[in-house]
Amino acid sequence: MILLVTGASGAFGQGIVRALVDCDDIEKIYALGRRNGLDFTSSKIEFVAADITSKLTIPDKIRRELTAILHAAAETRFSAPLDAARRVNVDGLANIVDVASRCPRLNRFGCLSTIYVAGKRTGRISENELEHMAGFVNGYEQSKFEAEQFLHRKAAHLPVTIYRLSTIFGDSRTGEVVKAGAIHQALRFFYHSFLPMVPGTAKSLVDLVSSDYAIAAVGRLLCDQFEPGKTFHVCAASDAIPLGELLNAARECFLHNRPEWRKRAIEMPELVELETFELFVQSVEEIGSPALQQSVNATKYFAPQLAYPKTFDDSDCARALAGSAVERPVLRDFFPRVVKYLINENWRGPLDDTSPCERI
Amino acid sequence: MNIGLEAIEYVLPNTRRDLTELEAVGALETSADRLREFGFEYAFMSEEDAFGLAARATAALLQKHDIEPEKIDALFFAGAIASSHSIDASQEFLSAFNYPACKLQYDFGLLNATVAGISQTGCMGMMTAVKCAADFLAAGNAENALCVSADVFPPRAKREVIYNLISDGACAVLVRKNGSRNFLRAHRHITKGYYWDCVARRNEIIAAYFPTACNIIRETLAKARTNLDELAWVIPHNVSRRSWEILLGLLGISRERLFDENISAIGHIIAADNFINLKDAADRGKINRGDKLLLFNFGFGANWGCMLLEH
Repeated sequence: MILLVTGASGAFGQGIVRALVDCDDIEKIYALGRRNGLDFTSSKIEFVAADITSKLTIPDKIRRELTAILHAAAETRFSAPLDAARRVNVDGLANIVDVASRCPRLNRFGCLSTIYVAGKRTGRISENELEHMAGFVNGYEQSKFEAEQFLHRKAAHLPVTIYRLSTIFGDSRTGEVVKAGAIHQALRFFYHSFLPMVPGTAKSLVDLVSSDYAIAAVGRLLCDQFEPGKTFHVCAASDAIPLGELLNAARECFLHNRPEWRKRAIEMPELVELETFELFVQSVEEIGSPALQQSVNATKYFAPQLAYPKTFDDSDCARALAGSAVERPVLRDFFPRVVKYLINENWRGPLDDTSPCERI
Repeated sequence: MNIGLEAIEYVLPNTRRDLTELEAVGALETSADRLREFGFEYAFMSEEDAFGLAARATAALLQKHDIEPEKIDALFFAGAIASSHSIDASQEFLSAFNYPACKLQYDFGLLNATVAGISQTGCMGMMTAVKCAADFLAAGNAENALCVSADVFPPRAKREVIYNLISDGACAVLVRKNGSRNFLRAHRHITKGYYWDCVARRNEIIAAYFPTACNIIRETLAKARTNLDELAWVIPHNVSRRSWEILLGLLGISRERLFDENISAIGHIIAADNFINLKDAADRGKINRGDKLLLFNFGFGANWGCMLLEH
């Protein structure tokens, strides 16, 4: 297999390239990214500098030999305006599909997506469902939804499989977080007494997945279990944790790893209806306090998702991975490891100059 | 034992300014329009010192309710700011001990009153005083305790504290054993030392305000085995109406049950809001005998307080 991985300089892209390089079936990986910050030493890997939002010019030699593409490049910021998210997630995809259409040997095209293309839908979400009118919590969700629509409408001639990832929380073995996202920021603000409320109920399920599982699952599904036309949920599924339990677990981690945190007597965030949360967000924006604004920004683009309770079905993914060495780590088991890592790493950076939070 | 808030009187200064006037003289940190959106309109400003206001509130209470001064067993004086706790402080070191509580005892002939001042619970001062009075009455043979609070901001101080419009004023409350109304059914007070530094922790305090408020309100109601839907009124401290809308939303209490008329009309009279509002709600016929009333307050220090009364 001669593979092109887009977004190879991103957190997930680097992980998948690193995981696939030792795969015997893979002869070559072209790692496409905007910057060559990669520290790969394998001769199998060749970096290709490119920006997927521009018209891509992949050298003919590469294009002719490619047998597989894994499209991992994406705008994943929940706060990104819809236009900016579309530019990367829809227009960028179109550029890659254009390249794929001109690869004569291509026999598989894997595209990363998100389980949150389900937007504001509630209830059980199946892997074979896409279309809905429920709306979206942020531009990221909507742009990925539109990207999947694009694949269905404009790439029917390609052997496409979609991998909808859940929120990647950290490495289940080491707790390492390569890229802190909104969920990590929210926990950080909880730790620092800046998270007064979260929309949702104690029973709202939070679906988080480990980075090692997500990488191994996508690698396996692309290389060994490729099923064109399928969509797979790479997520916690039935292993998702209720929000109330997750916040309690976080609090226990804070206390266990930093016993002196107890002295701060920081309350658990209130679990509230969306209307009240939005009134609080509006008030903070009107006040204009940078520190409070930062904390609200960490939650307002994704937390409303918790007000739309849903569970994700991963039956097809589980079936495809059955019998392989890829097993999904239990979220309840690795959650404390990741939180400990974040605390020990000081949440990967100081909070903000405007709020002199002490490190404990 | 039925300990209740038997009588309440308060005094406001004669000078009242609206937000536009306050903005024009630079007395606000936030725009007048924004504070208006948050539910404020008027602030009262005193040229009289805090003791003068306290004395007038005390006189009103004793006279209107025909209370014999010598039947007062205790006097608890509360003030949120340091200047409220000394009279005519001068360069003379001893003048720092010119306590208003002591002078009130003398001026009004409260000969049998044990006297104490409460100075470090911020806007929770009067609620702390009332709780101290209730505990004092419950612990012994005393029958009547007088609580007085007064605060006057310095002449050139801003009239805004963390998006709240501040008024000067004073209030006097008679707490009586075997009284006839406003029985204290439950009380809870939480202090969180982490937030002692109001300047450095300003933003954390705003964030911590809501979940801590929810907890203390729920705990107070649980102590009295009372459900939220049994509450007739929420008697607020006069912080922004917006913050009350958020807090009520968190608790699931309808906004109609908030007695909020005074937020716009009076502003935040530092330590006395809850009791001024209680009196006004009763005087305006809003409260019926047996109604359950929730009083919630926050004061720098950092203190959260809650009382459940039965009218």
